[in-house]
Amino acid sequence: MKDDLNIVGKRVVRSDSLAKVTGEARYTADLTFPGMLVAKVLRSPYPHAKIVGIDVSKALKVPGVKAAVSGFDSYGVKWGVFRYTQDHAMLHTDKVRYIGEDVAAVAAVDEETAMEALSRIKVDYEPLPAVFDPFESMKDGAPQIHEQYKNNINIHINIDVGEVDRAMEKAYLVREDTFKAAGEAYAMMEPYAVVASFKNGYLDLYMPNAGPHVRAKALSNMLKLPLNRVRIRHINSGGAFGGRSEVAPGDLVASLLAIKSGRPVKLVLSREENATSSRQVHDIIATIKTGMKKDGTILAKDYKVIYDGGAYSSTGPIATSIPFYVYEECYRFPNVRYNGYRVFTNKGIRGMYGCHGRAFLAGNEAQMDVMAKELGLDPVDVRLKNGLKSGEMTATKSKITSCGLKETIMTASEKTNFRKRWAKPSRLKGVGMGCVAIMCGFPMGFRSGSSCYVKINDDGQVTLVTGLVDNGQGNESMVIQVASEVLGVPMADINLVNADTEVTNLDPGAYSQAAAFVGANAVRVACENAREKIVAIAAEKLKVKVKDVGLKDGSAYSLKNPDKKMPISWVVREAFFRGEPITGTGSFFPNIDFEREWVTRPWGQMAGTFSFGTSIAEVNIDGETGKITMPRFTSAHDCGRAINPMAVEGQMEGSIQQAGVAAITEGNLWDGGYLLNPNLLEYKVPLACDMPDMDTIIVSSRDPAGPFGAKEGGLTVRMNAYSAVACAVANATGELFSELPLTPDRVMKMLERKKGVKG
Amino acid sequence: MILPQFEYRRARSVADAVALYKKEKGKALYLAGGTDLIPLVKLRLQAPKAVIDLKGIEDLRIIASRGGSLSVGANVTLFDLKKDPVIAAHFPVLIESLEATACETLQMRGTLGGNILQGTRCLEYNQSLEWRKARGFCLKTGGKECNVVRGAKTCFANYCSDNAPSLISLGAQLRFTGPGGERTVKLESLFTGDARTPFAMEGGEVLTHILIPLKKTKGAYEKLRVRESMDYPLVGAAVSVIDGKARVCVGGVGGAPRLYVIGDIRDAAAVRDVAEKASADAKPVANATVSPVYRKKMVGTLVKRAVRRALAEGKR
Ligand SMILES: Cc1cc2nc3c(=O)[nH]c(=O)nc-3n(C[C@@H](O)[C@@H](O)[C@H](O)COP(=O)(O)OP(=O)(O)OC[C@H]3O[C@@H](n4cnc5c(N)ncnc54)[C@H](O)[C@@H]3O)c2cc1C
Ligand code: SF4
Repeated sequence: MKDDLNIVGKRVVRSDSLAKVTGEARYTADLTFPGMLVAKVLRSPYPHAKIVGIDVSKALKVPGVKAAVSGFDSYGVKWGVFRYTQDHAMLHTDKVRYIGEDVAAVAAVDEETAMEALSRIKVDYEPLPAVFDPFESMKDGAPQIHEQYKNNINIHINIDVGEVDRAMEKAYLVREDTFKAAGEAYAMMEPYAVVASFKNGYLDLYMPNAGPHVRAKALSNMLKLPLNRVRIRHINSGGAFGGRSEVAPGDLVASLLAIKSGRPVKLVLSREENATSSRQVHDIIATIKTGMKKDGTILAKDYKVIYDGGAYSSTGPIATSIPFYVYEECYRFPNVRYNGYRVFTNKGIRGMYGCHGRAFLAGNEAQMDVMAKELGLDPVDVRLKNGLKSGEMTATKSKITSCGLKETIMTASEKTNFRKRWAKPSRLKGVGMGCVAIMCGFPMGFRSGSSCYVKINDDGQVTLVTGLVDNGQGNESMVIQVASEVLGVPMADINLVNADTEVTNLDPGAYSQAAAFVGANAVRVACENAREKIVAIAAEKLKVKVKDVGLKDGSAYSLKNPDKKMPISWVVREAFFRGEPITGTGSFFPNIDFEREWVTRPWGQMAGTFSFGTSIAEVNIDGETGKITMPRFTSAHDCGRAINPMAVEGQMEGSIQQAGVAAITEGNLWDGGYLLNPNLLEYKVPLACDMPDMDTIIVSSRDPAGPFGAKEGGLTVRMNAYSAVACAVANATGELFSELPLTPDRVMKMLERKKGVKG
Repeated sequence: MILPQFEYRRARSVADAVALYKKEKGKALYLAGGTDLIPLVKLRLQAPKAVIDLKGIEDLRIIASRGGSLSVGANVTLFDLKKDPVIAAHFPVLIESLEATACETLQMRGTLGGNILQGTRCLEYNQSLEWRKARGFCLKTGGKECNVVRGAKTCFANYCSDNAPSLISLGAQLRFTGPGGERTVKLESLFTGDARTPFAMEGGEVLTHILIPLKKTKGAYEKLRVRESMDYPLVGAAVSVIDGKARVCVGGVGGAPRLYVIGDIRDAAAVRDVAEKASADAKPVANATVSPVYRKKMVGTLVKRAVRRALAEGKR
């Protein structure tokens, strides 16, 4: 692989930075269109109730109200990611299933009028018994939330590899523990927002989203419009973290209102609505049984994991599986059984989360340390011993093609003097290590690949067209950087047209960590194809061999005699003359086993490649109050190659906050079906003053298939930082956690439990 | 969430403010920095017909020493107070509680008067109208019983001012001017003990000055919170020591701060007794983000810690 790169691998200023820091960048709420209306949604006050009738006629009489809709105005097409999970109509005529669910909506000339109109909508409900606890929900006789799912079990994932029971018998040490974690809030800076407009039979939608193409497909189904009539347009996104992957009730509401009123409609949810009625994160209860040999080798794992799925399927089978996969992609499990249950409750709709699965992952890692301690082993050695290596297969038959796990473990532990400090923790101070691997992309059928079209304009500037999505992490800048490298054109001279379903082609979207590995790869291929055409003409004009032509700073030059050069714009003009303008298309389709199915066939190649990472947390515990402080956090991430190291470090730091420090602060609090902290005061996102000193280490493993060797930029930290914290607390207290977040009251309980054992 | 409609009135003097209040027939609320009031109005927990802005009243922005007291105008911002050299030289407890209040941005807007007169808080109360309607109104919002302690006819909302406990420990008094004239009361007597209507005030009274005995004190403020900034106290404990005698005040739990006096701060048994009594007196319920059992325990812990630090002259 060529290493003499000009732009890729450099700490460049992101292409979007200036617009964002100056406030020039436009977000959905900033949009205004002539005649635009404001929408407001009437929400269910009941966790579970039959809808007897909805009467919007009085709302329509309020002056300034232009449209009102309910489930009776929609086709009732139920949405679900899979055919077998289609259970979410988004606006209902039969019943509501959670407090805050969308029931009806109005569009009016201003917000006050819309609010007034909402109060005139009459809904007759017949309250039904509700259930909020997944264990209660699975019992016979519990209120049935959907007819088709017995005992409210939405999804059951069963994976069984090897002979778990026999292996457990043979193990030297067996341990079983149960860990809980409260679901988190996505708490993106930008709440849910959408602008919809319907003209000449075409529906245009602007909203922050992680995948415009899947969104358009879902809406075309629900609205019974041909796919080409639903156009999701590009707009900046104020964070997603997995919470904008799926079509949302607001999409349907705004679309129906726009169609009915014939005017553009804007719907922006309040912070509270964003928490109660856009997506939430699953609460998880994970029971983990591990059998180990005396030397620390993991012989068997037996899992039972309950996911509180809220009221609808959403990404059901994926959410029920991912925590397991990111763990089996990290360690060797000769015998493993996984039973994951996603259970319906009368709570808000739930989705995937960048940090998804903390009870499971932190539980595994903390338990591993306790077992290592019992066996007199060092956690670093145990991780190295069980960690997968390049060329190995995971338990469910995914091949690892590049792997920097060992390097991440070694560099992170050496930099923190981990072994020594772990072995002899000083009073109430601890260190802990968490490891994980992440698939870069996963099976999404024909949507798993990405393609790009590039054209070089007559001024030598470049236009890239790709379906790739940026949710704030810097994907747009990343592909501009890749194109700049391949074409030898400065980043500032490259325009990007992306994530607009009318002009761009399919792309997996900004989830499943596919943007770098798949999206940027397609851009690379397209640019290489265009490059070939430039080089051919330049070679002819410069009178050198094709292989002796270099492209840099907007010029083509002779590698042997750099003074011999010409602007790329001349090459382009020549190409126009010849009637063959310089364009290129390129695509990338990852090596995935498409026979693989989440429920029925959970084995085969999961993704084109995997990233690896290790985090080390250092904690101090106040013995009197149980309060944890984190002086320092170290994360090492194998991202293949960092296309922009600054951007990767930014992702890693964000992950330390969102997964690591959040492990002591963040969690949704419930009183039955009422979310008690739907605001950013009582839902505690870590603040700047709560942040540790951070050391982010980039490990390069140069993936053979990734663009310039890249895989993904930082997600491992989102899925191992809480493990590091849980392990550090175990190291400091000698106790395993039982529930996240580790708020001071819970830590105090751990300390008391410890004392109790001693006394 | 947008604000509902209300009239905005600007008072030029205290007398003007009281007159405006009378004109609005009691359906008005005073506005200082608005950091407590405006969120309550947005949530439809307050629905004033008019808001009378006190910010323009010069007299309420003055810090002056008068007859053995430091008189602090109610409109002085927390930030200005924190930077005041006299406060720093005399009242370490107050410096610490000011520093611990919300965050610096809020301290620049929030006033001391508003801080003292802020509403009591509860996870089931500080919610939108839609949320509360769905939940069913509790005692504090006109319902029949408490939503946190089922069946209870008492409200357990928490008074979360960080600075009132400090001021009580310093023996501060409040001066009011209202439709019925002027009065001065000890800060600890401001509280009714009923968290629904926490303050014993006549309609239309303006808090004009906070009077703090101008003596050098030792002191410390301990605050329990999950994050190091922004968060309201889950428990707060203020201690001020003058001539070996300590005044301890606990806030953050229930509708009123509680004052305890320790005759001799060096008497370890007396300190322990007060810490235990304070913990026993505290009746936290499940209306904050950490468990009530824990908060109750922390009352004693923070009292002891505050005393320890007050003696060690502030060292943490
Ligand atoms: C995110 C957030 C975090 C916070 N954290 C904390 C915290 O950690 N600790 C803490 O102590 N507080 C906290 N607060 C509360 C904060 O509002 C107060 O600290 C602030 O000092 C209130 O002052 P203000 O001038 O803004 O009051 P305002 O909102 O203007 O007024 C508050 C109340 O007092 C009345 N009032 C004000 N001045 C007078 C007067 N002179 N006479 C009669 N009545 C008057 C008003 O009518 C109103 O009812 C927080 C607030 C927010 C929004
Ligand atoms: S403590 Fe009870 S009565 Fe008081 S505000 Fe909370 S729920 Fe309402």
